[in-house]
Amino acid sequence: MLIVDDQAAAREILTRKLSRESIRTVTADSGRECLKIVRSAEHVDVILLDVSMPEMDGIEVCRELAKEDRTRSIPVILLTALDDHDYQIRFQGMNLGVSEFMTKPVNWKELFTRVRGHLRSRALARQIDQTLAGLPERGGE
Amino acid sequence: MDSANIERLLIGQHPLMHRIHSLVRKVAATDATVLIMGESGTGKELIARAVHSWSPRESGAFIPVNCGAIPAELLESELFGHEKGAFTGAVRTRPGMFSLANGGTIFLDEIGEMSAPLQVKLLRVLQERQVRPVGSDREIKIDVRVIAATNKDLGEEVRQGRFREDLYYRLHVIPLHVPSLRERRSDIPLLVEHFLAKLNLRQGNAGQSNSVRISEEAMVQLWEYDWPGNVRELENLLERLVILTDKDTIEVDSLPSNVRSFVSSRHGGVQPTLGEDGLDFNRAVEAFEDRLIGEALRRTNGNKQAAAKLLGLKRTTLVAKLRRRRSPATSDLVV
Repeated sequence: MLIVDDQAAAREILTRKLSRESIRTVTADSGRECLKIVRSAEHVDVILLDVSMPEMDGIEVCRELAKEDRTRSIPVILLTALDDHDYQIRFQGMNLGVSEFMTKPVNWKELFTRVRGHLRSRALARQIDQTLAGLPERGGE
Repeated sequence: MDSANIERLLIGQHPLMHRIHSLVRKVAATDATVLIMGESGTGKELIARAVHSWSPRESGAFIPVNCGAIPAELLESELFGHEKGAFTGAVRTRPGMFSLANGGTIFLDEIGEMSAPLQVKLLRVLQERQVRPVGSDREIKIDVRVIAATNKDLGEEVRQGRFREDLYYRLHVIPLHVPSLRERRSDIPLLVEHFLAKLNLRQGNAGQSNSVRISEEAMVQLWEYDWPGNVRELENLLERLVILTDKDTIEVDSLPSNVRSFVSSRHGGVQPTLGEDGLDFNRAVEAFEDRLIGEALRRTNGNKQAAAKLLGLKRTTLVAKLRRRRSPATSDLVV
């Protein structure tokens, strides 16, 4: 799981809490770093992305992720501050294919549930790929 | 439902739905038994119909049987048929669902509800490809594809001894997990638009100035809701909204309170209320303080002096409040 937040304290707490739940994490301190990681060979199952970051904000990162097939399929959980309650930012996220929107302060139990749900979905996708690989090719189409 | 509609609903934009679509297409070409697993309302029957429609058995019958809705004592004769006089009320010989599905597909929904004795009989049918009607001493050969579905964790049912392991493996040839709607949330806007177009068409509103649309804000709320009843719940809600609305746009205030309060609570929008049982005043005040203090700490990157200034407090007051907090740790407020 990739944690993207410009604040070191937030990255540290998220890493600590998620590691305690046996979720392996890597971190990025900016949107650009996030894109570099997901475009590299690094395997990322879920991205936890802060909306408010300097230079490239979370929405801009999502716009970039949506441009490529491989990165578009990675589930993104957008974290937003209390004063971003305006629906417009969520509307933008929804249209960019964001999977979840969570408001700070983070409800840890809910975050873990949602992260696990996405990890399960990714595992399911891999399982379907295996089943598909084991089935004969269809003829006639 | 025609094949085009099935395809439209199955596609979605979510990567899992793309894969399920490929799997359904590929599995349809085989005659393998399929076990579809997923929560209620996820469209398991739709997927079974898709497998049938895209299979060489398409011209044969598709016979759905809800094993959970038919009383256990009647299910055997429903599935395998009965002879005249086989039991009280059996006034004539009647073919079972397996015979009706001959040359086609039988869809056994809620297979996890099937009684233990009937599980044994079903296993024999799957092994020998013949059924024996109730009260008969002869077997009838059948050529039926079996698709089963369950909203239970059938593996767990086996571990608990409630479902036969040999039958489980007979059915589990091709497992197909259908994701819940909240697991493929990005498909919600697509589904909302699809159902609205369908409902407008049914109401005779399609392409008219009175066709019902949805506001951006209401769409966001539908997207954020968790949909315990999955696609079925979404479709039913939209149907209700389209029928009941006297406006041309579904706004947030038209949405049911359970949707609005769920979304609102996820974003910290719910205010504590004094209910019949009262409330814990100190805890409510503490939660309110936590939210403001957390927001101030986040904005100031954990700097207590700056956070206290934002809140109009002395630094010592803020520190005292942080010390008094019961849980979680102060540093956690930064996220």
